[in-house]
Amino acid sequence: MKQSGNNQNKGKEKIARMARLKAVIKKEFLHMWRDPRSLVIIFVLPLVMIFIFGHVLSFDLKKTETLIIDLDRSLLSRELASRLAASPVYSIYSLSQGASHQKDKINQDSSIKLKDEKNGKENGNEAEGKKAEVKINGKKIIEGNQAESNISSQDKVSSKTKKGLTETADYFEVAEKWLHQGKIKQYLVIPPGFSRKLNSNQSVQVVVVIDGSDANVANRIYQYNERIFYNFFFRAQHLQPPFEPEIKMFFNPEIASTPFIIPGLVAALMLMISAMLTSLSLTREKETGSIDLLFISPLRSGEIILGKTFPYLIIALLVSLSIFLFAHFFFNFHLRGSPLLLFLSILIYLAVGLSLGLLISTVSSSQKVAMLVTLLGTILPSLFLSGFIFPLESLSPILHSLSYFIPATYFLRILRGIALKGASLHHFLFDALILILMSIFLLALATRKFQSLRRAKS
Amino acid sequence: MRFLFLFRKEWREIFRQKEMVVLLFIAPILQTIILGYVVRPDVTNLPVGIINLSRSIESQRLINRLASSPLFKIRFISLRPLEAEEIFKEGKSKALIVFQDRKKKVEENFFLNFPEVQVLLDGSDANSAMIAAGYFYGLFGQYVATELYREGMVIPFRPRTVIRFNPAINSLHTMGPAIVALLLTIITLLLTGIGLVREKEQQTLDTLLISKLTPFEIFLGKTLPMAAIGLIEMTLGIIVVRVIFGIEPRGNLAYLYLAAAAFLFSILSIGFLISLLSQSQQQALFFCWFTMLLFLMLSGLLTPLENIPPAFRWLTAINPLRYLIAIIREIFLKGHGLTYLWSDILIMTCLGFGAFIFSLSVFRRSVLK
Repeated sequence: MKQSGNNQNKGKEKIARMARLKAVIKKEFLHMWRDPRSLVIIFVLPLVMIFIFGHVLSFDLKKTETLIIDLDRSLLSRELASRLAASPVYSIYSLSQGASHQKDKINQDSSIKLKDEKNGKENGNEAEGKKAEVKINGKKIIEGNQAESNISSQDKVSSKTKKGLTETADYFEVAEKWLHQGKIKQYLVIPPGFSRKLNSNQSVQVVVVIDGSDANVANRIYQYNERIFYNFFFRAQHLQPPFEPEIKMFFNPEIASTPFIIPGLVAALMLMISAMLTSLSLTREKETGSIDLLFISPLRSGEIILGKTFPYLIIALLVSLSIFLFAHFFFNFHLRGSPLLLFLSILIYLAVGLSLGLLISTVSSSQKVAMLVTLLGTILPSLFLSGFIFPLESLSPILHSLSYFIPATYFLRILRGIALKGASLHHFLFDALILILMSIFLLALATRKFQSLRRAKS
Repeated sequence: MRFLFLFRKEWREIFRQKEMVVLLFIAPILQTIILGYVVRPDVTNLPVGIINLSRSIESQRLINRLASSPLFKIRFISLRPLEAEEIFKEGKSKALIVFQDRKKKVEENFFLNFPEVQVLLDGSDANSAMIAAGYFYGLFGQYVATELYREGMVIPFRPRTVIRFNPAINSLHTMGPAIVALLLTIITLLLTGIGLVREKEQQTLDTLLISKLTPFEIFLGKTLPMAAIGLIEMTLGIIVVRVIFGIEPRGNLAYLYLAAAAFLFSILSIGFLISLLSQSQQQALFFCWFTMLLFLMLSGLLTPLENIPPAFRWLTAINPLRYLIAIIREIFLKGHGLTYLWSDILIMTCLGFGAFIFSLSVFRRSVLK
């Protein structure tokens, strides 16, 4: 009899607890429903982001504006220029010496005569004293949007210079000016006697000047140049290059940027929604003082926490689902691995994010502070230190060790593994375990902080 | 000058919380240092696996060359064929180099044996894979050149490359100063963005409205404290860049402050607009975050602007951060004066005016109603 009464009590308590939990969850959902604009924003902005970034972000080098100063004007020097022009990596402007060629008569009216104003500027001995004419025939290479820029560049040159004879120095002046303006990224100087020397196996130097103000771009231009020159050397001698590595790209053969962007964005957005919204929703209650009502209610701390975080879990899951669906239908992003594994790992990651948000809300006094802490402490690091854009291996050892503390590092590895490579559980078991441990640790810490906060209040 | 009262109120409100002082002034310094060392898009220590089926001297020489390069880190060398996909799935290495036994006939001119090489890359991290591909081409080219030289052949045609403005191609020099631009953006935009919404949420906006302040004065009072904070943060950032990174600007920093003022005008107007359009701090936050990420990704800081397809060019054209980053690079690395900078500064100011006028009209229509 006694026993059954106990059981009944337990059962009652269980029902009561469920009812209380339901009430908190309902309250939180009501908060969200009352603010439909926020909901729309939460769902729509990520999709807009993916739409834009999927189209815009590309890390490959394309259409590097290159000015070729051809002082040789031979078959070989043109061959080199056209080799550069044939690659989609470059977009070529050329300045060349001598106007006697047939082909150039078409461009005669667009040619501009530069007047020599400075003598003996870094133009090399051979070129000194030679009369030259600047030709800006700005070859249109890949796409048709080059034309205007050519015209404007001509205007600039012609307005600056007077009619008359020119010296090679002017080429350099123009080239330097354009390099400073950022109109061109690099210029090549093919010296006079280039083909003669090359044919008689003498050493020739082609000078390449690259704008280094963006180190990354400069480095890649350099690498591409090397490759072109390398091939050119052998082809010019009618030889097959003896040695060409065959490069094969796995998982993303066309090097599209969407498969690259989406896992990273999902990692950042999930954290954004889970950590930021949770921390804001609790600090808002702190700011308005309504948290005291929750504190003095019979609710247990665990129930408050669960009730407060559950709605955001649902929202975040729905957002991630919508992102993957959107990417699937509009960007040909196909999931290679198991959707169930993906779902589970997102769930674990969200648990980490929610606990983080909770922790932040217990330590910050206003929404403003909570927001800045979340932004600087969790979202920026997971953008920059997770290997999303910058490979972790390239970081200095200290920063690399810092990346081990960032949940997004592990999540991104799992996500890329499942979504792009079709990896299964045994490939990323370790990463998953760490995420689980992180979530347990953070949740325990946040709960304790929350309880002590409640005790201090009451 | 009535707006000065509002200015003082805002200023006090920001610094009333002690955490804010830390967040506003310590965080930017740490942020600059960390980001300066992180945001380097070059790849080093790329984990590489080698499958050597050829076992020739040449392949060994190439492996030595790879091992001595700081760009690569050899994780394992296998003499048996391995399943590439499996290795990539485990994430053990991001590239695999396979040396096959030579099958092709060697050109008669070259009495050298080169092993057949295949480079397999993990494309799931497209960015580093692309960079790695470039490195491999360069490396093999150099290898061939030295091998030819060893055999007594000279490659007569050599490019001599000069890198202007940043001879060592040090990415710290391009990224470090540019991060100062981020300092100007992140916190100022956020704080302005939630500025009015906060008052809306706490119902203090009405007090502000029944005061005799004009919308313009409210704008000034709300944004000027943020502009001041932004400029202080920028100064801190510049000090970090000079002292810790050791980068001395080549140009005149006064122009940078001029550009920063124009930039702040535009970004704060946008923040004010966000604040007017959103109904809760949460919303404002989302808008700010979105705007920030959009500006950042389209600024040319992370990816070259040339890559952006024409249909999206207008997005970069209205992005004030893009102009600021260009200006910072020009001042720090190229040492430019106003002749090169004025057009960008003018564009930023115009963008600012656009957002400002729009936000004032929104203010009149929605808030004052």
